[in-house]
Amino acid sequence: MSERQPAAHQFDSIEAVEARFAEEGYVTDRMLATTVYLAVSLGKPVFLEGEPGVGKTEVAKVIAGTLNTELIRLQCYEGLDTAHALYEWNYPRQLLELRLQEARGLNQEEIGRNLFSEEFLLKRPLLRAIQNDGVQPPVLLIDEIDRSDEEFEAFLLEVLSDFQITIPEIGTIEARCRPVVVLTSNRTRELHDALKRRCLYHWIDYPNFSKEVQIITTRVPGIEPRLSAQICRFMELLRDQDFYKRPGIAETIDWASALLSLKVTDLDQASAEATLGCILKYRGDIEKLRALGIEDLVQQARVVSHYEAVSSGT
Amino acid sequence: MIAVIGQTQHHETSMFKQVVHFSRVLHNEGLSVNPANLIDLCRCFDYVDIRSRDDFHTAACTTLLSNREDLDLFDRVFERFWDGTLKLGVNVVDDRPGEPGSGEGKKEARTEHLDSEADDPAEKGEDEADALSYSADEILMKRDLGTLTDEEIDQASHLTKELIAAIATQWSRRKAPDKRGMAPDFRRMLRRNALHSAEGFAEMRYLSRRIKKNRLLLLCDVSGSMQRYSKFMIQFIYGLRSMIPDLEVAVFSTRVTRITDLLRRKGIEASLSSVAEKVQDWSGGTDIGGCIGEFNDLYAAKLLRSRSVVIVLSDGWDRGDTDVMREQMSRLKRRAYKLLWLNPLLGSQGYRPLCQGMATALPYLDFFLPAHSLGSLSQLAETIRKMN
Repeated sequence: MSERQPAAHQFDSIEAVEARFAEEGYVTDRMLATTVYLAVSLGKPVFLEGEPGVGKTEVAKVIAGTLNTELIRLQCYEGLDTAHALYEWNYPRQLLELRLQEARGLNQEEIGRNLFSEEFLLKRPLLRAIQNDGVQPPVLLIDEIDRSDEEFEAFLLEVLSDFQITIPEIGTIEARCRPVVVLTSNRTRELHDALKRRCLYHWIDYPNFSKEVQIITTRVPGIEPRLSAQICRFMELLRDQDFYKRPGIAETIDWASALLSLKVTDLDQASAEATLGCILKYRGDIEKLRALGIEDLVQQARVVSHYEAVSSGT
Repeated sequence: MIAVIGQTQHHETSMFKQVVHFSRVLHNEGLSVNPANLIDLCRCFDYVDIRSRDDFHTAACTTLLSNREDLDLFDRVFERFWDGTLKLGVNVVDDRPGEPGSGEGKKEARTEHLDSEADDPAEKGEDEADALSYSADEILMKRDLGTLTDEEIDQASHLTKELIAAIATQWSRRKAPDKRGMAPDFRRMLRRNALHSAEGFAEMRYLSRRIKKNRLLLLCDVSGSMQRYSKFMIQFIYGLRSMIPDLEVAVFSTRVTRITDLLRRKGIEASLSSVAEKVQDWSGGTDIGGCIGEFNDLYAAKLLRSRSVVIVLSDGWDRGDTDVMREQMSRLKRRAYKLLWLNPLLGSQGYRPLCQGMATALPYLDFFLPAHSLGSLSQLAETIRKMN
């Protein structure tokens, strides 16, 4: 294994991470902040798992924002291979170059000599992340790794342990400075232990009531405290139910913005019903909610959140 | 935050010893930790104030764990361990640092261990009581399995041939060099031909999609209610095995038994009778959820790859806890590439999967298929071909 290069960017402390995240509008908790702090300090990848829509991808964006550096994103899918993740040769340009050289009347020996140089290399996300200038290492987001297949996982293992890439025609390219790597997974399948072992693991759960209120307040400015409390309580009640796709924070934010733009200030059945599409994305789930009784849930959310708003003094 | 401990070497070594003890305690509780991750945890001490319980907990969690399910167990061990560590910390400051302190640490760790052992038998006792209540129904009878005729086995393997071809292979999304391929392989053409001629290529080269082999695992229910179908089941296993040599087979009713090695022996009659010998609970009661759980714990990590197709052969009559069933089915689903359930009852007219076990399992299945006769297998073959 190569020697670890110090990360150019570092956070000063866990508190600094919390503060910088807050500036970027991401409400974090101590555990996540500690994990991010350690990942950047130790130069290890972070592996974030959690239900869809709890803000895993957002973490990478926010890290890039706070470190003021580039975010390189690699979306995973089945069959993702080195040509799309790492590099590919620009074949049309290579052919064109051959023609041009011939037209220029180059010697037989000279023709095609430069075809496999960096000039004809199409750099894909992993290569771009590793071949950084060393001053501002980028944040590499490997999104939804559970969608990729085993071959890619094995390949990634190699890249993440050495942070170097070998291109047969050129040679080995080593990271001058390690990028900050964030992997996310929706947990549709289990990943290989060897890959997980190389990362710092963190499970992002649905936020609790007060955290979710805080998130809405930061992400949807101008929303009434009473309405945001009602929304969050309603979401909490929803998540207790067994839906095919339980709504995440992304849905909460969407819903809050929808209600705000409809100028709703107090959650009622009509407004909830009209905007159901923001929170539930499956017909079966919507029918299930109707069967449960939307009015009932709205009523519960109003009562409880009124109490909570009063008792917490917000 | 700068290292708090680490002023003297003694402090550091005792801290590292603590970490090693902690990992041992975790190991004893069934949570194994990779040494490389322990080193990561030690590196964290440079950045995290280890006096802060929460931060130390997060550091340990994030470096040592890689599964959400392990969190609860981890928290329990951590809670008990944290007190022990604190005591040691006082010792290090008061007395001479080093050996005495860590000696005590060892004791602490050991008592932790004893405690945990004291806890465990109680739990195990409960489990055993559970198991016993089932065992009352577990009919420990040996069925004569050596009565299959050769013709029947031939018939089975003939019918399963098509099925196996469909299950065992799949088109890969990756491309590999292939003379008969359709996509031109520019990279190879340029590398081999560029220096000879820029005008045209001496030789075209192509790529095509590869055929991938899937792994196959068969989980057979051998409880009392499945007794009627045992003959079919055996044919099925043998048909599969003759075409997929590395087929994994496990049978379950109140517990799971892996019988792959048994089946490897030559001579069908011999292996059939040894299956009957080894599988104690042939035709006993059923606890599908518990058995799948046992399978997940004992075998899943070893036997399943992301390319594994899991076939459960059972009628779904389950007498276990539905919550357990739900949790274990979702775990199995995540491990497997595709999860299929063959149900012999599905063949009978008017059958609907209403019994508790089957209804619980249904949402986690990729395919739910009849398996009452050899003929139904061709339907399975067709389904699997569509799946690819």
